[in-house]
Amino acid sequence: MMEYAWLVPLFPLLAFILLIAFGKQLKEGSAYIGILATLASLVVSLGVWMERINGSDLVRTDWDWLKIGDNVIRIGFEINPLNAMMLVVVSLVSFLVHIYSKGYMHGDDRFPVFYQYLGLFTFAMLGLVISPNLLQVYIFWELVGVASFLLVGFYFYKPEAKAAAKKAFIVTRIGDVGLFIAIALIYWYTSSFEYDVIFSAVTTGTIPAGMVTLIAILIFIGAVGKSGQFPLHTWLPDAMEGPTPVSALIHAATMVAAGVYLVAATYPLFEASHAALLTVAFVGGFTAIFAASIGLVQNDIKRVLAYSTVSQLGYMMLALGVGGYVAGVFHLFTHAFFKALLFLAAGSVIHALHTNDINEMGGLGKKMKWTSAFFLIGALALAGVPPFSGFFSKEAILAAAYEKNMLLFVVAVIAAFFTAFYMFRLFFLVFTGESRNKHAAHESPMVMVAPMFILAILAVVAGFVNTPWGTYLGDWLNTNDSLAGIELHEAHAPLWTAVLAVAVALLGILLAYLIYAKRSISREFISKPMPWLYKLLLNKYYVDELYNILFVKSLRGLGLLLQYFDRYVVGGLVQLVVSITTGIGALHARIQNGQVQMYGAIVIFGLTLLLAGLTLVVKGVIG
Amino acid sequence: MSGEFIAFFVLAICIFAGAVFMLFMNNVVHMVFSIAFTFLSIAGIYVLLQAEFVAVVQVIVYTGAISILAVFGIMLTRHDGKEEEKKRSGHTIFALLVVVAFIGLIIWSVQGAPWGDHAADYDQMQNTKEIGKALFTQYVIPFELTSVLLLVALVGSIILAKEEDKSE
Amino acid sequence: MTVSLVSYLLLAAMLFGIGLFGALTKRNAIVVLFCIELMLNAVNINLVAFAKYGVNANITGQVFSLFTITVAAAEVAVGLAILIALYRNRATVNVDEYDTMKR
Repeated sequence: MMEYAWLVPLFPLLAFILLIAFGKQLKEGSAYIGILATLASLVVSLGVWMERINGSDLVRTDWDWLKIGDNVIRIGFEINPLNAMMLVVVSLVSFLVHIYSKGYMHGDDRFPVFYQYLGLFTFAMLGLVISPNLLQVYIFWELVGVASFLLVGFYFYKPEAKAAAKKAFIVTRIGDVGLFIAIALIYWYTSSFEYDVIFSAVTTGTIPAGMVTLIAILIFIGAVGKSGQFPLHTWLPDAMEGPTPVSALIHAATMVAAGVYLVAATYPLFEASHAALLTVAFVGGFTAIFAASIGLVQNDIKRVLAYSTVSQLGYMMLALGVGGYVAGVFHLFTHAFFKALLFLAAGSVIHALHTNDINEMGGLGKKMKWTSAFFLIGALALAGVPPFSGFFSKEAILAAAYEKNMLLFVVAVIAAFFTAFYMFRLFFLVFTGESRNKHAAHESPMVMVAPMFILAILAVVAGFVNTPWGTYLGDWLNTNDSLAGIELHEAHAPLWTAVLAVAVALLGILLAYLIYAKRSISREFISKPMPWLYKLLLNKYYVDELYNILFVKSLRGLGLLLQYFDRYVVGGLVQLVVSITTGIGALHARIQNGQVQMYGAIVIFGLTLLLAGLTLVVKGVIG
Repeated sequence: MSGEFIAFFVLAICIFAGAVFMLFMNNVVHMVFSIAFTFLSIAGIYVLLQAEFVAVVQVIVYTGAISILAVFGIMLTRHDGKEEEKKRSGHTIFALLVVVAFIGLIIWSVQGAPWGDHAADYDQMQNTKEIGKALFTQYVIPFELTSVLLLVALVGSIILAKEEDKSE
Repeated sequence: MTVSLVSYLLLAAMLFGIGLFGALTKRNAIVVLFCIELMLNAVNINLVAFAKYGVNANITGQVFSLFTITVAAAEVAVGLAILIALYRNRATVNVDEYDTMKR
């Protein structure tokens, strides 16, 4: 089955093509094509995964694609444990989102277009994870960015959606430049893009140590862009302008995970450079607490989840940075499920109430039983309460941080507290209490509830693949031959770290309960004495405004400058040529005035020139 | 400082004066007078060059006939006596520059050329006799042709200047 | 200081220049005709000077100048006739007005 892994991306591509051709006629029937394609991908992915679990060797097939002189660029696919896991995650979440969208997007005029874009995205993401070389990764990386742009800007008639789509593309593009430079540098030193060649070059020292650090950091910059780490995080909250299934698929489970996947897939490069690992860890840790603090005060349900995603991705980067490869990948795995679940539940609420503002929600627990139950499960998983999956993966991260860097450990714990707090603030405000909503709430149709149900089950059980008692995932990932023999170390921390993690989570939940459910502490117990803090957090630390001044305005100014340069200098030169030509023409027009005297003068002038020439020739001055 | 030199100098001044005044006078008839003066001075130059016959012919033909013709021409056409207001200074400057360049070139070429120092000796000959000898032996054909030319010119000018028949 | 060929040639050249300038610049047609006569006279001075001082000095120069004078006379006659005909058509002797060659 593993030899057929190349089929996995092709099913969604086929759906994309078919929907372009027949989407208009099919209308809402397009959903079936998308669902069937992703189902097929899921089946093949499961088959591949199972085969890989049974411990086959690395499967890798590639073909010559471009021959440039002596260099050959290849394309193909590779299956290692990391890939196989990603294939399942991506195709599963995509499949569930396809089903959910049939209900969510019902009645939209551009229904088939939505499924086209979903198909394109799924194709790109699946292609990305099975790429065996960096160039192919880059191609699919960009394609994923394009699909994200299309999907975020789906409601293009809204100016905010248009702006958000542009912002998403441009900000991730900034990160992509880093990745591109890294690939170029790698090719410079090793003349290849293939993972195995690169990794052996690192170990044999073909690439100098400083250069390895630089390359690793540049790759990380690409990941920063795609995974929304600080300082390139600003696009992710704005990308919530897209439809909620898009947020669930792209901005929770898959595209943003591509950054983490990239760092994991090129891990030998990072392992070889202590400085790069440190950078990854600190950027991740800072982002985790930074985003969590912003999420504390946001009023839009999707934005809270978006900042939560940024924060959790920070956790994953933190884990990878402190050497917890397994912890990071594990958290990627579990986060995909519970975050997608949370987004789908949020979408269910938005679909019922036609608003995103949590202050207009409340008391939905009675009217939307399934949604609130699933949301609760997702929230518990995210907060890290055992026995839900989030507990195990978060605990693994904390253990890795504890072993390597106490500062990061403390940061992670505080961020865990914030996480629990804001998730349950959300839960209590939306699902408990009196109803503040303007529309009557009703449960969503089965086609939207069923995917949530499956994700909820996974959010519960997915954690058991790697517990302190049975590190199945860790051992399996260790069989990854493409990691060039790096031993993936499993961190072991004293038991009190786990207890601390749970205690902190429960404390967060308790505080949220007291403030938002029981109202024993006022909502404004921080914001009243320190209104500046509240404003700072509400305005996302003014990062967007800072970027506006630093970059947007200055680039606009530069653009204006260049426009003036073009208009007056370049245009002026062209105009000058025109004026000269016209001037010469006008001058000569004055000579042709029909008067003999003028003609006579010209004749004498010509005669003088001729004579002068002849005289100078005879005298030997010229030629 | 021989007499020849003084004579040449004076005659040259007269020629230039006449020519320049001709250019800058306003009244056409005054112009005719100054150019007649120039022609006379040129006749003087011819005498200096020992070409007496040519000098006399110059006086008869130029100062006499051509100047009178010009006066007749002025009489038959109307001149307002004043120049039109339309300035064409660009043209004037251009023409001035061109002429200066042209004449400058000629002067420069003439100055540098090796002309030699000999002079023909006409002291012993009679100018008219020599001209007659050359004209009627060596150059008799151009002489005859010139007479035809004069005839043609005469007839042509009459036809050109004739009034168109109003009856036709 | 002797008077040599060069002085006569220079005299003639400058006279020619004055005549040329007048021919190209003056507005009155009759004045243009006079200036042409000046140019011809300058040529005559040259010819007669070469007859005396030239490289191959003989009487031919003076004979040549006689012919030039004749032709100049004929030319003045014809020129004036043309002028009168033009004046009859255009009622002006201003050369500026004679610009039918413009188009």
